[in-house]
Amino acid sequence: MAEHYSSFEPKGTRWLIQRITAAFLVAVLAYHFMMLHFVNHAYEITFAGTQARMSQVGYFVTMVLFLIAGAFHGVNGVYNALVNQGLDGTQKTVVKWLLVVAGTLLIVQGIRVASAMTGLF
Amino acid sequence: MWAWIFHKFTGWVLIGYLFTHIAVLSTATVDGATYTETLRGLESLLVVRFLEVGLLAVAVFHILNGVRLLFVDLGVGLEAQDKAFYAALIVTAAVAVGSIPTFLGGF
Amino acid sequence: MSTQIQEQETETETEETSEHQTRRLAEKRDRADMAERAETDLSDADDTVKLKVFRYDPEVEGKKDPRFDTFEVPFTKGMTVLDALIYSRDHFDSSLTFRHSCRQAICGSDALFINGKQRLGCKTQMVDLEWPVRIEPLPHAEVVKDLIVDMEHFYDQMEAVEPYFQTNDLPDGELEEQRQTRENREKVKMSTRCIWCSACMSSCNIAAGDNKYLGPAAINKAYRFAMDKREGEDMKEHRLNIIEQEHGVWRCQTQFSCTEVCPKDIPLTEHIQELKREAVKSNLKFW
Repeated sequence: MAEHYSSFEPKGTRWLIQRITAAFLVAVLAYHFMMLHFVNHAYEITFAGTQARMSQVGYFVTMVLFLIAGAFHGVNGVYNALVNQGLDGTQKTVVKWLLVVAGTLLIVQGIRVASAMTGLF
Repeated sequence: MWAWIFHKFTGWVLIGYLFTHIAVLSTATVDGATYTETLRGLESLLVVRFLEVGLLAVAVFHILNGVRLLFVDLGVGLEAQDKAFYAALIVTAAVAVGSIPTFLGGF
Repeated sequence: MSTQIQEQETETETEETSEHQTRRLAEKRDRADMAERAETDLSDADDTVKLKVFRYDPEVEGKKDPRFDTFEVPFTKGMTVLDALIYSRDHFDSSLTFRHSCRQAICGSDALFINGKQRLGCKTQMVDLEWPVRIEPLPHAEVVKDLIVDMEHFYDQMEAVEPYFQTNDLPDGELEEQRQTRENREKVKMSTRCIWCSACMSSCNIAAGDNKYLGPAAINKAYRFAMDKREGEDMKEHRLNIIEQEHGVWRCQTQFSCTEVCPKDIPLTEHIQELKREAVKSNLKFW
């Protein structure tokens, strides 16, 4: 059990962040669904409507945090599910870095999209 | 055991959806018209409307069971943790069914 | 055959029939009678119950393919699954193999998979089960023969947490006892009850998937000592270091199956959760 060299295994850190992002996501995901399906309706969506929402700084920042929290929580969740199933050794390391890359790309792309939605870029 | 299985399953669905979602929304980087058309186009498909109800069910369960897990992690209310799972299932079903009119609206 | 030997005895009459011989012959008669006796028991009994028992023996030609044998035993009041298995072995098939010892839920030998759940054979009443009763070896462990599983992996994980009292925090006086407060004893009380039966490990889906996972029994054992104030803070930190590893407490997904099946009612999940919180708290302190 000498896995002390990996920067991703500080004892319990990922576990804690998974819970913190969870609490945040409970609130924001519920809010997101309410806003976009019940307050506004998905079938009435227009770029203009999206832009109006995303132009508000508070909303924009919340959405970006939402993206980052969701990406971490989801990718970390996938990693844990695979380790629980017995993923180990070299395979585990490869999968881990693939997930890190995928998660990062998701966040980068998400921020680009969010910025495009403000209409300012 | 089922709580763990459902939480994992809904988790996979949600992360899969997140990637798809960002991909679809990326039409916003092309131009406003592409974005609007793509999304309106998707919304005009009945199967997409039903998938959205499914997505809601998946998200609601994952949230409610997730709240149950947060309580378990804090060591609060452990005597009722199994009942909380059943409650999460029931509320998920209720919300999913109740949302159908809204999701099918404008079709 | 026994008649033959008896004749020989009366013929020679040179030595008195020794106690050993008398007993031996009596036991021999008993064994020969077993099947007959079973028939009488069965017809006399108000109720009979069928057991479907998993059979497997890699060393015997006809038993290399797993199968289920059915035994019908007479039901008696208060009969446990272990009673029924012993009856079956004694009266019908002496090759039926299973572990058992104390028959009072303290040795942990007879943990079995009964009607789809991990239970101790000696602690499970036949009346509490649906008949016919299905008896299998513990799942997620390698089957050696019939109802016997290889316990080595379980013992390895237990050994990994140093399951014995250790302290550098000795009291001052030469012959002074290491005292424990009532509250501290209460705190660890439930965790001391483990009988190493491995029902919990067998029920855990994570233990089934991840071979390196310490498992609920081992982590509970670590809890029993980590929370024992007589061991001192340094030892507690040492113990936490072991269970804080990647395949320690973090693998627990609060499935709760371990808590459900534990025959000693230990709140295993709760203990694991508490250790997670301890680990997080102690790590936050460094920032």
